Amino acid sequence: MAEPIITVKNLTKVYRVPERAPGLSASIRGLFKPKFQDVEAVTDINFTIRPGEMVGLIGPNGAGKTTTLKMLSGLLYPTGGEAKVSGYTPWDRKAEYLQRISMVMGNRSAMNWDIPPLDSFRVLSKIYKVPQDQYQRTLDELITLLDMEALLKKPVRNLSLGERMKCELVAGLLYQPDVLFLDEPTLGLDVAMQRRLRIFLKQYNQQHQVSVILTSHYMADVSALCERVMLIHHGRLIFDGALQELADKLAPFKLVKLQFTTPPTNLEGFLTQFPSVEYLPSENGHHILRIARSDVPKVTAEILSNLPVADLSVEDPPIEAVIDQIYEEGKV
Amino acid sequence: MQALRLIFEFFKVSTQAEMAHRANFFIRFLNAILNLATGVLSLTVIFNQVESIKGWDMPSAMALLGVYLLLAALRGLFIGPSLESVAGMDGEIWQGTFDFTLLRPVDKQFLVSFRHWRVLMLFDLCLALGVLGYAIHLMQAELTLLAVMGFIITLIAGAALLYAALLAFSALVFWNSGFLFTWIINDLFQLARYPVELYPGWLRLVLTWIIPVGLMTTIPAQALSGKLSWQWMILTLLFTIGALIGASWLFRQGLKKYTSASS
Repeated sequence: MAEPIITVKNLTKVYRVPERAPGLSASIRGLFKPKFQDVEAVTDINFTIRPGEMVGLIGPNGAGKTTTLKMLSGLLYPTGGEAKVSGYTPWDRKAEYLQRISMVMGNRSAMNWDIPPLDSFRVLSKIYKVPQDQYQRTLDELITLLDMEALLKKPVRNLSLGERMKCELVAGLLYQPDVLFLDEPTLGLDVAMQRRLRIFLKQYNQQHQVSVILTSHYMADVSALCERVMLIHHGRLIFDGALQELADKLAPFKLVKLQFTTPPTNLEGFLTQFPSVEYLPSENGHHILRIARSDVPKVTAEILSNLPVADLSVEDPPIEAVIDQIYEEGKV
Repeated sequence: MQALRLIFEFFKVSTQAEMAHRANFFIRFLNAILNLATGVLSLTVIFNQVESIKGWDMPSAMALLGVYLLLAALRGLFIGPSLESVAGMDGEIWQGTFDFTLLRPVDKQFLVSFRHWRVLMLFDLCLALGVLGYAIHLMQAELTLLAVMGFIITLIAGAALLYAALLAFSALVFWNSGFLFTWIINDLFQLARYPVELYPGWLRLVLTWIIPVGLMTTIPAQALSGKLSWQWMILTLLFTIGALIGASWLFRQGLKKYTSASS
């Protein structure tokens, strides 16, 4: 197995934030005698990431996802612990390190808004010392993959959010980094644009084997792109493994959707013989049953042989529902 | 070489951005002319009444005005716009886009100092050179090669001092991200229009050693008029080197303190 490209050991970040009571008098007191509070944003997290791996870092707002990414990209000094990315300690901010990584943020722009993107790309290529022919090749490839030829000559200010995000991705990948930190890249985008960017990221990852850590609030991003997820809650890493494993662990049931040729007379009565089955309100003529995973074959066989079934499908519960459950309960 | 290449790119991009706002062009032009006119007019009025003030005659006062306008133009050309883009409520640190500056594999002080150019300030620069040229024309008989060399060296020192002062004040933004501290220098720099000798003793000390706007303009003007002793010249150079090292240290300390805006 390849050596990990990212190794994180006991990484911790404590912010010192000013504490301000409401009211004018408290504000004036705070001016002369400020009070601070220590907030643990990230506590003792450990993980490794292999080259070319795409990992989703998920968690509710304020869980510590962005703080983790910022420490790994070298923007923040940790309070404790260590990390190595591509063999470098990120917060040393060595030029050789910064040349190998990229950070793209959905809520912040690296572009100059007054000029067309092509000019910003050119300046970035000079900053990263990308040879002219390589620059042209990479740019052409990214433009084709993102289908953005038409945007190149408009000032960034006049682009839509989705178009701007395409530019941000080009700016982040122009110098072909080994590691890409993506902080909510699809934030605020419409469904079609989210899908477009996901396809791009998947293709790019396959072609270039770039290692990616992705944070997103859209589970569709994570489930489409990442086989592995790390779940962070109150600054602690509470799960690290396959997304499916997380779903299985949290939702040990499946949803069975049924449609009948003629409505069964006593469906609920029939189901009482299976204690693990829960009957959910029907949706558009579909009857939905929640069944423990282990009982699914037995129950569906019984239903098929005893009831006038027109259609039957077995589904996993939506990942959003599973994740919501963890955010609420704070544990896996 | 890489630094020059980058400066050229930054200049090009800033020019493009500025050309997008045509009205700026006329306003800048008007501002430069007004600045020049008030400076020259006040000198003419004063030296119509008296021959010299505390050893400063018309040509040397004109040289001082030229140095002042030149440094003000340099400040407006790139030092000011670059450093000010970091601070303030709409600045990069407050907005969080300073993250991208830190992520670039280039010396951060260099990047922060040379990134933004206000190309229309080249007007002001030309006018300032014109005033200096006129001052030199007025003092032609007494101008020596040594004086010109001294002038060039101290002018560079003056520009470096102005840069160091602005960098140091900009670095304070890392301790309080909402403030635009450079206004302190911008306001005090107005005092550098006149020779420091004109100010009362305590203010002279402040303007020479604490916020050295006096050193920035008075010393080069004195060098041009041949009134600067070599001891003062060396002292100014040492002070400039110290100020550059100090400002750079402060900036680096600030970078370590940077906590990035929240997501």
